[in-house]
Amino acid sequence: MPQLDAILSSAAERVDGASTLEELETVEAELVGRRSYLNEQRRGLGRLVPAERPAAGARLQEAAITLQGLIDARRTALERLAEDRLLADDRVDVTVPRRPVRQGTGHLISQTIDEIADIFTAIGYQIADGPEAETAWHNFDALNTPWWHPSRLESDTMYLDFGDPADEILLRTQTSTVQARTMESQPPPVHIIAPGRCYRTDTFDATHSPVFHQFEGLAVAEGITFADLKGTLAYFAREYFGPQRTIKVIPHFFPFTEPSAEMHVSCFACDGSGCRVCSNTGWLELLGCGMVDPNVFEAVGYDPAAVTGFAFGGGIERVAMVRHGIEDIRHLFDNDLRVNEQFV
Amino acid sequence: MRVSQRWLAEFVDVGDMNPDELRDLLAGLGHEVEAIEVLEVPFTGVEIARVEAIRPHPDADKIRLVTVDRGAATQEVVCGAWNFDVGDVVALATVGAVLPGGFEIGAREIRGVVSQGMICSERELGFGDDHEGILVLSGDYELGRDFVDYLELPDVVFDLAITPNRPDAMSMLGIARDVAAKLDIALRPPEIEVTEVDPPTALVIDIADPVGCPRFVGREVRGVTSGPSPMWLQARLRAAGVRPISNLVDATNYVMIELGHPTHAFDLDGVAGERLLIHRAAAGETLTTLDDVDRALDPGDIVISDATGVVSLAGIMGGGPTEVSDATTRVLVEAAHWHPPAILYSSKRHNLRSEASARFERGVDPSLSPRAAARVAQLLVEHAGGEAASGVVDVYPAPVEPWTVELPVAEIERILGVPIGGETAAGLLSRLGMTVTGVDPLSVTVPTGRPDLTRPIDLVEEVARLYGYDQIPETLPHGTGGGLTPQQRRLRVLRSALVGAGITEANTLGFIGISDLDQLGVPEGDPRRSTVRVKNPLSEAEETLRSTLLPGLIKAVARNRSYGRRDVRLFEIGRVFRNQPSSIDNRIPYQPVHLAVVMTGRATAGKEAADRPADVFDLTALVDAASTRLGWHDVGLRQAELAGLHPGRAAEIVKDETVIGTVGELHPSAARKFGLSDRVGALEMLVDPLVAEPAWWGFEPPSVYPPQKFDLAFEMDQELAASELVAAVRSSLGPELESVELFDEFDLGAGRKSLAVTVVVRAADRTITDEEAQGFRRSIIDSVQSELGIKLRGGA
Repeated sequence: MPQLDAILSSAAERVDGASTLEELETVEAELVGRRSYLNEQRRGLGRLVPAERPAAGARLQEAAITLQGLIDARRTALERLAEDRLLADDRVDVTVPRRPVRQGTGHLISQTIDEIADIFTAIGYQIADGPEAETAWHNFDALNTPWWHPSRLESDTMYLDFGDPADEILLRTQTSTVQARTMESQPPPVHIIAPGRCYRTDTFDATHSPVFHQFEGLAVAEGITFADLKGTLAYFAREYFGPQRTIKVIPHFFPFTEPSAEMHVSCFACDGSGCRVCSNTGWLELLGCGMVDPNVFEAVGYDPAAVTGFAFGGGIERVAMVRHGIEDIRHLFDNDLRVNEQFV
Repeated sequence: MRVSQRWLAEFVDVGDMNPDELRDLLAGLGHEVEAIEVLEVPFTGVEIARVEAIRPHPDADKIRLVTVDRGAATQEVVCGAWNFDVGDVVALATVGAVLPGGFEIGAREIRGVVSQGMICSERELGFGDDHEGILVLSGDYELGRDFVDYLELPDVVFDLAITPNRPDAMSMLGIARDVAAKLDIALRPPEIEVTEVDPPTALVIDIADPVGCPRFVGREVRGVTSGPSPMWLQARLRAAGVRPISNLVDATNYVMIELGHPTHAFDLDGVAGERLLIHRAAAGETLTTLDDVDRALDPGDIVISDATGVVSLAGIMGGGPTEVSDATTRVLVEAAHWHPPAILYSSKRHNLRSEASARFERGVDPSLSPRAAARVAQLLVEHAGGEAASGVVDVYPAPVEPWTVELPVAEIERILGVPIGGETAAGLLSRLGMTVTGVDPLSVTVPTGRPDLTRPIDLVEEVARLYGYDQIPETLPHGTGGGLTPQQRRLRVLRSALVGAGITEANTLGFIGISDLDQLGVPEGDPRRSTVRVKNPLSEAEETLRSTLLPGLIKAVARNRSYGRRDVRLFEIGRVFRNQPSSIDNRIPYQPVHLAVVMTGRATAGKEAADRPADVFDLTALVDAASTRLGWHDVGLRQAELAGLHPGRAAEIVKDETVIGTVGELHPSAARKFGLSDRVGALEMLVDPLVAEPAWWGFEPPSVYPPQKFDLAFEMDQELAASELVAAVRSSLGPELESVELFDEFDLGAGRKSLAVTVVVRAADRTITDEEAQGFRRSIIDSVQSELGIKLRGGA
């Protein structure tokens, strides 16, 4: 079959000469298609004498495999080329942000509340909540605030036109109200953090807002001491402001704690050597605290001879503003997206 | 309270202490130092000199030549002031002196005469503003001595924040007592001595209100001459932040700062009848106070009257006729104890806060009154040339005696967590002037100047204060509970779902005005009209607690638009208040937590995004996403016309057949009233139903059999809600129904529309055949037809 030899010897050239898949299909039809020489020879095998058939058949089969192999290899190559061309056409600049996924931000105040909650739940505290519109009893009387105390005046506290005037319903001025609410509803031991909104008759300025947030801490059990208060606040300072922080507590006065103290944390910006953040004192005044006054225990029906406790109350805005260098509290209530979007 | 270190050093040895050290010491005692002011020597080379002779200047009318005696020498200076005479003592800036502002004094020729220095005015010396003439000194001065020696300079002034429980610390002596106790060194109180001269005083004091005035001590000082106080006394007053006025007034202020007991000086010749009555003001009584304000008195005001009427608002401010003046020769010194709450209320009511009222508010030691009166009398004798009349009027109907508190020693460790023995504690307490007897309990007698110490716990605090808070160790106890409640955790999930949906959390103040509800179109009778009013609001425009989060949030959105933001998407989670009792405590208002979302601008961001405005569907999708995220699959919508919302683009959010919120677009007229012109999506709902925990879900194994899928298009009136169609399809099949999805909505005109759904059915235990699927299809069509009265589009 000299013609077959000729086909075979020129096959590679013909196959590789096909520059598109269409051309290759034409070549394929010519070489191995129904009307190809090869196929004709196969159909003619029956006409050969039986003794010649196996050898001829084997030869044709071998040729078919060879040709098909050449064609398939070329097809693969052409397909890859075609795909490469498509992909090249499909190229984009992926650095263009064409379809941004919108992300909001949680408010710094709720983020701070969550962070403080996590710090304290890790050492066995629960997070307590209480009403914002409160009775004067929960806001003042239960907290050992005398009837004549100036904080009760309308110049400090907002009163509401609601219910029995004798109850003097007001907007709580401190989250300490949750102390009374919690203790009157459950026996000791109590370990709570109560974050939330508070209100005072303050005019808006860089450091005062009529609405602000506090977090109240309260631990009541047998054997709670002032040393425990110091240790707990030091733990909080390290968790919130960094592991190098130290604290100091200095005597202060609050009606509902005795002894009372003010807690300062070493400045995180200068490590206590004095800088702009801490007004060159090395310390940041952070919160008020103390041992729960026995009168508070009596007001809520706890036995001050059986249990002791500590309480502390800090400003959510205060700690967050200190940490993030926000100098004007009004930024936290203006809801300017240019501000809020920084709360990531 | 401004504390001069020099003045303090008179009573306790702290004169050489480093100011930072003293600051820490004071802070450790509970007296926070708010500021430290260093008072420098403002000039050099100024000496005490006496005017020996005055003669006219040969070539000038307005200036004179003055010969002054400097002790060691005399010299002549030129002076333009005329307010002095021969014999007066003056401050002479000698040649080489440097005055404030770096002004150096040299020998200067003035119209042909050389002046060897300058006689100074107060202002030239950098204190006081008096430039009317030169400073003429009264009192004892040594000629030739450096003037600085009389000015209590240099000095350091500590501005202390005295806590309200420490009336005793509102004084130099009180601070000195604390410091001496802390350092365990001697306290040197001032020596108070008055030489009395007959005849005895004729003064009569009557107290009609012994509650308001538990004690009144009066003393008479005669023959005083009003004039300036000695320089050192003026300097101390200035350091304390008090302006020197005259020796008569300065004496009372000096004693107030020194001892902490305010006193008052009356011109006794102005007191009609030499008799004073202390009582509560009667209705209609008035007083013209020193500041020339006519004041209507209140029955809560404690006042002092003479025979003509009210002469003084007790403890706060006096009135005209009895006030001391330059002409005063006879002084009545009042040292009284006033009821602290009464002073507090009167001073606030009349808006008259003073150094005196600040002390009376805290409670002045009643045992101190006689000493304070004597001390003022002593100063008037020493500095105003007076004579103290014999006899002291002291009306004190119910004397306060020192009291005793029993302190069990174990209580100290129980509270502080550090073992401080009884002996140590007794030592610390006695340093503060307490008498301690007994071993356990300690029997502690408290001086009357410490009204804050009445219980064992109060003494524990004093022990801790002197022992040092810094000496108490730090221990960390662990709580007995812990972790967030499921609701608290789920609230965080809700917040994060909203943030993840591209919405930013806001925090608005929470006050609204009724006009906000009007603008929002909230009708009468709507629960949001049931508001709680603030009696003393920050502003009349926002006098109500928010009954809805929307006004605050809409305003925040509008503000961002005014800042130039195109797309604004805000949410807030917070309490609203309703004028109805709360279920947790019926005394207080119902105050549920709401979630609100307001958005405007483009729905999607980015280069390719179509400028599709955010609309109701962005919010309904959010309701679905948030409720699904929280495990609630039964939160649905019920289209409705709702106040304030677009009539055709609003729905109630329904869960368990209960409306838990509303969603929609603001009515354009409402949006415009808040300054917004684009579509504004608004959502407000209760948070509790979302964060409540759903029942545990039960697992359903996925079917291994293939699904059958078919589409159905129905024709109906525009008013029929798609949700009703979907619900009708759902209810028409059993467990084989896998999903119903709305895939096409087509307006047919004439108030008709077509809605198409894709239904997928699949069985858990078999392959659904084509015939069976046909059956399902038929039942859906029949069921929808009987339930909603609608048919397949183009169908029979």
